[in-house]
Amino acid sequence: METLSIRSVRKTFPTPTGPLTVLDDVNLTIAPGELFFLLGPSGCGKTTLLRCLAGLDFPTAGAIFFGDRDVTDLAPHFRETAMVFQSYALWPHLSVSENIAFGLVERKVPSEERDRRVLEALASVRLDGLGDRSIDQLSGGQQQRVALARALVVRPRCLLLDEPLSNLDAQLRVEMRQEIRRIVKENGLTAVYVTHDQEEALAMADRMAILSRGRIAQVGTPEEVYRRPVTSEVARFIGETNLLAAEMSGQDAATISVHTAAGVFTGILGDPSHQTVAGQFTELSVRPEAWRPAAVGEPNTLTGIVVEKVYLGQRAQLTLRTELGLLRIVIINPPGDLTTGHELTVSVATSDVVVLPRK
Amino acid sequence: MDRRTAWILCAAVGLLLAVGFLYPAFCVLREAFIDPRDGGFTFGYVLAVLRDPLYRDGLINALLLGLASTLVAALLALPLALVNHRYSFPGRGFLALALLVPMILPPFVGAIGIKCILGTEGSFNAVLAGLGWMDPLHPRDWMAENRLLGIVVMNALHLYPILYLNLAAALAQMDPAMEQAAANLGCSPWRRLTRVTLPIITPGLFAGGALVFIWAFTELGVPLVFDFPRVAPVQILDGIKNLDRNPLPYALTTIVLVVAGGVFLASKLLFGSGRHGAAPRPSLRSAPQPLNGWLGWACSGLFAGVTALACLPHLGVILMSVSGHWHNSVLPAELTLAHWQEALGSALVVPSIQNSLSYAGLATAVALVMGIAAAWVIARSDLRIRHLLDTLTMLPLAVPGLVLAFGYLSLSQEGKPFAILVGAGGSPLLLLGLAYAVRRLPYVTRAAVAGLQQCDPVLEQAARSMGASAWSTLRRISLPLLAAHLAAGGVLAFAFSMLEVSDSLILAQRAEHFPITKATFALMSALGDGPQLAAALGVWSMAFLSVALIGASLLNGKRGGLSGE
Repeated sequence: METLSIRSVRKTFPTPTGPLTVLDDVNLTIAPGELFFLLGPSGCGKTTLLRCLAGLDFPTAGAIFFGDRDVTDLAPHFRETAMVFQSYALWPHLSVSENIAFGLVERKVPSEERDRRVLEALASVRLDGLGDRSIDQLSGGQQQRVALARALVVRPRCLLLDEPLSNLDAQLRVEMRQEIRRIVKENGLTAVYVTHDQEEALAMADRMAILSRGRIAQVGTPEEVYRRPVTSEVARFIGETNLLAAEMSGQDAATISVHTAAGVFTGILGDPSHQTVAGQFTELSVRPEAWRPAAVGEPNTLTGIVVEKVYLGQRAQLTLRTELGLLRIVIINPPGDLTTGHELTVSVATSDVVVLPRK
Repeated sequence: MDRRTAWILCAAVGLLLAVGFLYPAFCVLREAFIDPRDGGFTFGYVLAVLRDPLYRDGLINALLLGLASTLVAALLALPLALVNHRYSFPGRGFLALALLVPMILPPFVGAIGIKCILGTEGSFNAVLAGLGWMDPLHPRDWMAENRLLGIVVMNALHLYPILYLNLAAALAQMDPAMEQAAANLGCSPWRRLTRVTLPIITPGLFAGGALVFIWAFTELGVPLVFDFPRVAPVQILDGIKNLDRNPLPYALTTIVLVVAGGVFLASKLLFGSGRHGAAPRPSLRSAPQPLNGWLGWACSGLFAGVTALACLPHLGVILMSVSGHWHNSVLPAELTLAHWQEALGSALVVPSIQNSLSYAGLATAVALVMGIAAAWVIARSDLRIRHLLDTLTMLPLAVPGLVLAFGYLSLSQEGKPFAILVGAGGSPLLLLGLAYAVRRLPYVTRAAVAGLQQCDPVLEQAARSMGASAWSTLRRISLPLLAAHLAAGGVLAFAFSMLEVSDSLILAQRAEHFPITKATFALMSALGDGPQLAAALGVWSMAFLSVALIGASLLNGKRGGLSGE
């Protein structure tokens, strides 16, 4: 196995109104054995990037390396990648087993070994005994597993998954997440997984890249990206957040202080390389669940009136009207007397206040 | 598909079209613009044609025939297609197939039949005389009295299946959810038709309409049979028959070509790109609504009536082939099967069937290979030139067969480039194979493009991603998925090659090389029981082609259609 690197990749498509840039200066390095996610809203270029890895699209500029080998212009069938398509792309004229055996036939695997590996692949996706079925006799979840088995059975250099779970119902989707992760890890595969479902990415990824309008906004582990977004866009895309207007005031080694309409807050920089200047306008990102009820006068506090309460059993979602605008917070095990109209003071830890450059 | 392969395929198809189509057409057109005295370029002949009242009449008549035939064919085909799409009624499957029967007979053979029925001594007059509504001593000549109307009706009855198939294909491709959504929003069935269904199938209507118009506009056989010389295609034939190198027929050909090509391109440009409301993988199957009682039988009656009307010429041919003596009676006075046997024993007939099989077989093989290559470039590559290729492969539909046949004839003379295609003993196998293949290429290409468009490219990409080369993907994934479409396109190409008239009449010179159509033509003008033998041969070929067309239709399921878009 080898490192997969994407170097300064750019992709434009010709349109009647001039070229449309779908990927712009994308750089990524994906380590061997990593389950790497490409995450972003529709149209951000994530699927195009995946197709460039598969050789189904070719970059307009830049290069793609598998280890030391430049595969930028290599035809798809020489790449030894295997892709799981969003629509599964199972061939209707072939049976389940024939679909799975397809890549092995192309690789001229002897028929005995082929049969054995097909049976193993069927077992690994828990479809034992269904090899002779035709594709339209399978449910959506079963078809998804066949698509996965078809890709796994060739032992690809890199497994590519394009929103493989988006056509499944919610419960099956959650089950298949852990299933796919198990299979990828058991087989020691390098996998690149495209999705727009942030929960899927948070739950499954070793690392992820957030794409926005053809560029990489941030790369990191799920926790890094969630706890320390580098832009307000990333903060908003991953999970829910409160974005509060502020003005830079001072900085020491670990923390940074800002002025707001509700007083001074201390926080951390989302992007540590970010240069700060006193007086500069910034934005604070604070997750709803980071706030907890506090006494007036503690640091990093905010006081407001509860204007909306959604009770969800173990927690309650509250909306407060504060001097910084509406604030969404989540309170675990909410007290019964916390109702609309109440005044509430909440505070937040320094490490949960992420200072972001203001757009 | 990688671009190099796409370019190679594109070049191969381009070469076939250049040699087999553009060059001969160009050679004919050149005559229209070159002044033989000084070899210079001139518009004079084209202008002279437009000024000549005879030729102008011919053009106007051809246009009128084209427009009226298309309109009547559309009035027949549209209700039939809509009824068949929406309702089920007694005998629906069989009746829908029977609608295609008129296509199995070249119109000039049907003409023998229609003469038996509408001629002065035909069945229709015999019926009228029998009822006492007409004096048998002064019979009316129905064909001579309403020639234009007669030609329009004959054309429409022969050509409506093309439109019907296009409309059926457009309706089948429409996502049933389109109509259901309209119904859900409170739209009545009639308004659903005018506001949703018709706009969505308009491209199909125009694509089929353009084909029907071009066919009727350039139709030669029917006006000849109705003895109506003042129409452009007949004038071209008459002009070309004179060997005095009069450039005016060539100039007339040019104008016909420009009109036909213009209509074709216009239908493509206006309606070619938008495939409105098509569902590549319809989530819902539309189940036709059962019609019970008299309404259902009325629909069956509509289908059966149109088919019966369109089959009158065929009926005439069949009766002719079994008649010993047939004058002034509703049905032949004596019936005999002798002509069928005689036909099979005739020196002309059996070899002509063998010849037709080999010409049409070669042409179908060429058209299939080239059609798949062209469709692949059109539907799967990103070459800009694919749009040009798409238009070019369809263009043979816009060119009258007569023009091309004459081009081939002049190019295959001693010392000309096509002379090498003439085989030992003057065998026209290669010449006719090429001519048939080029003119049937549109059917195969359309079928293959439709198949590729309905087959999600992701299925091929998945194969590539599993390590299959482009060739292996074609062999293991695309061809099996396309099989039904290709078989249907291939059968159509084969059937229409067997029926081909102009190339066959002009290019097969010796009796031992005659294909079926020319043998029929030769028998028609033979003395004695020639016409009956011709009719018997016509019956044999009708039987053969019915089987072929029904097979194609079954293979294609509901998705069939000579879709010209």
